[in-house]
Amino acid sequence: MANIAAQRIKREFKEVIRSEEVAKCAIKVELVDNNYTELKGEIAGPPDTPYEGGNFVLEIKVPETYPFNPPKVRFITKIWHPNISSVTGAICLDILKDQWAAAMTLRTVLLSLQALLAAAEPDDPQDAVVARQYKENLEMFKLTARHWTNAYAGGPSVNPECDDKIKRLVDMGIEEHQARVALSSYNWDLERATEQLFS
Amino acid sequence: MGYEINRFQGEVDEELICPICSAVLEDPLQAPECEHVFCKACISQWVARQPTCPVDRQTLTSAQLTQVPRILRNLLARLMINCDNAQYGCTRVLNLDSLSIHLEECEHNPKRPVLCEQGCALVIPQDELKDHNCIKELRTLITKQQQKMNEYQLEFHELRYFILEQRREMQLLKDFMRALKTSNPSMRAIADAMDRDAQDREVVRWSGSLQRARVTRWGGMISTPDDALQRMIKRTLTEMGCPIHILDDLMENCHECRWPPGLCSLETRQNNRRQYENYVCKRVPGKQAVLVLHCDNQHMGEDMMIEPGLVMIFAHGVE
Repeated sequence: MANIAAQRIKREFKEVIRSEEVAKCAIKVELVDNNYTELKGEIAGPPDTPYEGGNFVLEIKVPETYPFNPPKVRFITKIWHPNISSVTGAICLDILKDQWAAAMTLRTVLLSLQALLAAAEPDDPQDAVVARQYKENLEMFKLTARHWTNAYAGGPSVNPECDDKIKRLVDMGIEEHQARVALSSYNWDLERATEQLFS
Repeated sequence: MGYEINRFQGEVDEELICPICSAVLEDPLQAPECEHVFCKACISQWVARQPTCPVDRQTLTSAQLTQVPRILRNLLARLMINCDNAQYGCTRVLNLDSLSIHLEECEHNPKRPVLCEQGCALVIPQDELKDHNCIKELRTLITKQQQKMNEYQLEFHELRYFILEQRREMQLLKDFMRALKTSNPSMRAIADAMDRDAQDREVVRWSGSLQRARVTRWGGMISTPDDALQRMIKRTLTEMGCPIHILDDLMENCHECRWPPGLCSLETRQNNRRQYENYVCKRVPGKQAVLVLHCDNQHMGEDMMIEPGLVMIFAHGVE
């Protein structure tokens, strides 16, 4: 790894560790390998959002050309958000693409992702299904996002009805995550989800 | 790429850190409006990818980058840094601005060139001295040179063969031409004309290689130089590389008895005095004489010029 990239990441790593946000448990970063090319990030779901109470793990890959190119970041924790793929965890955020600037750091990236959780951009979606639900039925979106936060990010349990519906599909032999995706995509309409799963 | 922070004594202010490499600024440059400062190498690499300030994303091109204020340069210069060769035993800690001078002469630099004193007199990096073996090094050198010599030898043989080939071909052509000339009168005329052309070109080329001369006193012209003077000038012309086929003609034209009508007597010379300045004269080094070649003086009238040119010898007045 180029010297400049390693040196920057070392310094930024310390910066995150020392930051106020870590003290408040809002962001966290850990090393995955010893040569600073891959890190594990973690952000807390922002308060007053469906993600509140959840902890979201991120994969951060630092390219050789860092900081001239942005780090490659994706969600490891499954999440229901218009700008994050519910399948791959890929993120649609301008600063991770063409709006990257060399003076940005791991800390600013993590904080920007946290801000993205609080302010979705449904008109520039990464996940079209989620974005459509967000625009057509905001309450349904919030319910689903909260449910996913509970299921994957350790958030509080909110709606036992959802869990019941999933259980019924699981009893029919459907894998749990697959059942959750189907139900989420059909606004928790059990009949339509079943139809789609068995068609 | 700046200087690593842990090479410095004491705390380094955040303002002296490059936002791109996060090391202490090296050759800093600043953006014109926002005044953000970066290492020269870092910001050049960034704007080559994207013409914006890396901190606030204002438009920024490399041409807009400017020198940072003196105060910033002074603050940087004053920082105390350890030598690049600290890991090789250099204990010097010095001002950042004297680092480069020190590095040039730092004796701990493992790559410092040193002279082998065991006999081979090769110049080698200091860190290789320990494992250095004169015989081995010299042998490699000899092998390399041997190789090169072999290559040259090969090339030499090839070239010699090539020249022989060419020579044979030329001989063939010459024979062919000779046969043509003898069997065909019009070919002979062409060949003679070609010979003449070649000779003319040689004179023009020679003239081009000579320096211009200036005659300050035309009155000093010797119209009847004696034999000794003529021999001396002729020798000099030969040394100047005068084409053989015009040498004798030129030398004959150094006496008024062979000069054109406009120069051949005192009276005509007096009448045409005004035209002298129009002559293009070439220098005859070390002699009070000038060459007035026909090829340089086609602008002069018929009565002032003859083929292949004139030699004018002076008592004085040539520069």
